[in-house]
Amino acid sequence: MSLLNVGARALLANQVALQTAGHNIANVSTAGYSRQSVVLQTVQGQFTGGGYIGKGVDVQTILRNHSELLTRQATAASSVDAGDTVRMQRLRQLQDVFSGGPSGIGASVNEMMNALSDVVSSPMDLTARSVALTRMDETAARMRDASQRLDEIGYTVAEQLKGSMIAVNSLAKSIAAVNEQIARAKGNGQPANDLLDQRDQLIRDLNQHIQTSQVAADDGSVSVFVAGSQPLVLGNKAATLSIDDPADFGAGSGKKVLNFQQPGSATKVELNENMLGGGQVAGLLRFQNNDLAEGRNLLGRMAIAISESMNTQNRLGLTLDGNPGENLFAPISLGNAVRNSFNTTPATTNMALSVTNPAVLHASSYTISFTSADAGSITRHSDGKVFSFDNLAPPPATTMAAVFSAQGLSVVPTAPPAAGDQFMINSLQGAAAELKALQYSPVDLAAANPINAAMGANNTGTLQLASLKATGLPNPPGLVLPPNANPAALPPIAGGIQLQFNAGSPSTYDLLDRGTNPPTLVAAAQPFVSGQAISYNGWEITLNGAPKPGDTVTIGNATDPQYGDWYQRDAGNASALMGLRDVPMFDGATMADGFASAMAQIGTRTQSAQFAAELSSAIATNLERDRTAVSGVNLDEEAARLIQFQQAYQASAKMLQIAQSIFDTLIQGLGR
Amino acid sequence: MSNSLYRVSTANQYDIALRNIGQRQTSLSNLQENLTSGKRVVRPSDDPVAAAQAERALTRLSRNETDLRALDMQRNTMALAESTLGQTADAMQAFRELVVSAGNGTHTQTERDAIVQQLVGLRDQILSYANRKDANGLPLFQALGSAQTPFPGTAASVSFAGLPGQHASGNTQIAKVLDGDAAWMSVPTGNGVFEVSIGAGNTGKAWADLGQVTDPSALSGRNYSITFSVVGGVTTYDVIDTSPPPAPALPPLPTGVPYTSPATIAFHGLSLQITGAPNNTDSFAVTPSQPSNVFEVLENAIGTIRDAGNPDGSTDFGSLTHGITRGLTEIDSAMNRLQASRGLAGDLLNRADRIEGELDTRAVQLEDDRSRAEDLDMIKGISDFQNQQVGYEAALKSYAQVQQLSLFKFI
Repeated sequence: MSLLNVGARALLANQVALQTAGHNIANVSTAGYSRQSVVLQTVQGQFTGGGYIGKGVDVQTILRNHSELLTRQATAASSVDAGDTVRMQRLRQLQDVFSGGPSGIGASVNEMMNALSDVVSSPMDLTARSVALTRMDETAARMRDASQRLDEIGYTVAEQLKGSMIAVNSLAKSIAAVNEQIARAKGNGQPANDLLDQRDQLIRDLNQHIQTSQVAADDGSVSVFVAGSQPLVLGNKAATLSIDDPADFGAGSGKKVLNFQQPGSATKVELNENMLGGGQVAGLLRFQNNDLAEGRNLLGRMAIAISESMNTQNRLGLTLDGNPGENLFAPISLGNAVRNSFNTTPATTNMALSVTNPAVLHASSYTISFTSADAGSITRHSDGKVFSFDNLAPPPATTMAAVFSAQGLSVVPTAPPAAGDQFMINSLQGAAAELKALQYSPVDLAAANPINAAMGANNTGTLQLASLKATGLPNPPGLVLPPNANPAALPPIAGGIQLQFNAGSPSTYDLLDRGTNPPTLVAAAQPFVSGQAISYNGWEITLNGAPKPGDTVTIGNATDPQYGDWYQRDAGNASALMGLRDVPMFDGATMADGFASAMAQIGTRTQSAQFAAELSSAIATNLERDRTAVSGVNLDEEAARLIQFQQAYQASAKMLQIAQSIFDTLIQGLGR
Repeated sequence: MSNSLYRVSTANQYDIALRNIGQRQTSLSNLQENLTSGKRVVRPSDDPVAAAQAERALTRLSRNETDLRALDMQRNTMALAESTLGQTADAMQAFRELVVSAGNGTHTQTERDAIVQQLVGLRDQILSYANRKDANGLPLFQALGSAQTPFPGTAASVSFAGLPGQHASGNTQIAKVLDGDAAWMSVPTGNGVFEVSIGAGNTGKAWADLGQVTDPSALSGRNYSITFSVVGGVTTYDVIDTSPPPAPALPPLPTGVPYTSPATIAFHGLSLQITGAPNNTDSFAVTPSQPSNVFEVLENAIGTIRDAGNPDGSTDFGSLTHGITRGLTEIDSAMNRLQASRGLAGDLLNRADRIEGELDTRAVQLEDDRSRAEDLDMIKGISDFQNQQVGYEAALKSYAQVQQLSLFKFI
């Protein structure tokens, strides 16, 4: 009898084993499936006088093969991988905007400056002037175009973030539902293997979007935490996440933050970006707030520096009509700073911004924090450097104006700020979209110098004019034109500023103002070095050669009536505009090389993002392999098990047959 | 739980194989992109430093091209200026020969008038050379800035409407215009230190040479007049200081000196020779040299020949000879100045050739830099591509083979 039982039990156990193996084989490609194995245990033996007689086998439980540690590790690694990969993909798109070569923005800027060379060669040629102005228009259009492409990338990122939020919120709800089901199933005594697998898969999907940490509770549910400490799923309740503008500086800061909202509560908690870890959302936020912002700043700084410096130089010169030049590009206004919405002062208290020195601009945003109405600190976002200022303390304490003037900006409060106020300067970001060429008529290119130079007709030395240009520095007072001649005055005024060279060695000269008769001596016995620039009143002259005593050089006002239309054949200001190519203005790189360094900056970021993505991907792959080494189904193994349990099943069936034949024998033996 | 050291999940196995195949396929297609574009650095992220180097090399290359083109224009203009000065020299030489021929004693005023016509034609031609412009309308002699016509006015009274001075040449460019003031407007009169003019009312046949400086330290720079008086057949001369007072302390001037032709008259560090027979009250003025210009010199020479005839038809040999002697010296002086300018122009053209050579060398260097930074070494690229191809093939084949192996085939 007991043999029958043993046989029946064995049959059932092997049937279950076969079914489990079949279940594994069926689910070989199911994502997140942990293979199940049957745990068999012997039934307690029966005590008899001759010993404990075994009573067969029983199925204890269906074991879900999985390693909590490996699962957790693999999930976290794949989360980091997803974040790095998405950031790398977006950076690849960003670097296309900064591509170099003959069709890049850098080549466009250089062509614009080089086109002025034809104007220098023939100042009266309207075609050469036209070409130069057209190139300026093209460069402005390319900048606007690049800025628009950056905006599109930002828009795509925003859309992707929105999609992620929807997915995250719905996954959180699903996890909460599964938690409830598992808690209920736990009461039955056996683990709900498939539900556990489902929950693990949901958590893995969630981690693709945002990295989480899990804590198991006693009732079998798992709580999911984001950003280290915010409970996204607690038991069977799910919170919601959303992407919004930061609460303090709002949309003007150009950043986005992740907000956490408890179920049933209306307050949103801003999550710290540095605590987010991995996941697509974290990667995209990092890209949006750091990489895209840097790209925008670099482009904006280039637009402002080029337009400001060219505008300034053009305004110093004379057009073909003899009028002072006007702006070549529409001046880009920086507007006001972005005020923190938690400031105690009203919305009218803000900082008015303008550019004072485009050559020292940094491609960065700034935050000003006031500790009192006159003191505080300024943080530069690009490298994190902090400057403190105190407007009332004596030197060596620096004032706010001095700190910003070293950064090339002028920041003027519109009303006195209060302690605790904060303002963000973010204006470079939108600057490139506003670059627009203003001059289209070839006559309006101010190619001529506002001043001219003449050597004395009786000079006996070997002086030659190397260069003459208006610089407008120092400003104030800027460019002051030499006095005009007045032959009708008594005594007649010769006009101009004259350099008169003296006898002796080394050579010296006297600087005379001939606006009066006799001339006024402005500076006496100035040392003269051949090839060194002499600057005065906002213009600069460079002479080569050796002067003899009595030699003179006279610098006059080009619009003085005595010179008629001679300025039309002069191209000194066009030379000075071309000379801007070599002015260092992008962290020490010249205007001609500025784009190459911006390109390298973005390229380096992309390359390191690529390396990071490759590394995370390799780690994630390895950990997943380790995880599936424990939890994955191996078809060959299942095939072997099938055979194994099939044989056992056959043996058990044979056992039943034997038991039956024993019974038959017994019945036959006893019956008549 | 079974030992996981020797286990691998079937699904994961396929995943990893697919991932490897995908990786190889990606790197194969990247290499293909490199081969078709010929560049090792297609995007800045491939090698940011090299990409920046290539970009900078491109910038410098385009600047080099611009400099070469500007140098070409400068050289053309300067070559035109140099050849203009050459044509001027020829015209001045022809003028000079005509002036010499006008001194022929057998000519009457009619013949001299014919010569004057030719001289006027040559002088107008020379003025047009001075005002010549290049292909872009830029006057060749505009110096540091001038009117559209740097030498306006009729040929008799020409001035320089511009700013005297010469542009310096640099490392990548040469000056493209010459100093018109230095070339045309700086001719000193006389012998360079003082000039001897014949009195306007002279009736005699005396004429003076240009004189010379015997003692530079004794020169006073004042105006003098040598006056002749013929009394009773005896000719004497006086040297009078005609500058406005006050007169500094100077050695006494010769007075009442008897005159025979030729006579060398010396005083105050200078001496000159007067030849011929003067009439009573004839005089010569000795004044310091003034700066004059080429056109005034030509005009003076023409004036001398035109006015050489007396009202009665005879020739005023005194003023003619004096005027021709002085004119020839001053024409030589002017030609020297023009020749100096022509020399400068030739020098600048040589410099332009040298600069062009340097710019060409630099262009080659920059192209080499750029190529080294971003171009693909074709041989390495093709060999890498073939390696990758073989590797990809191996991955595909092994995948196909391994998936054939399964225990289910054998049971």
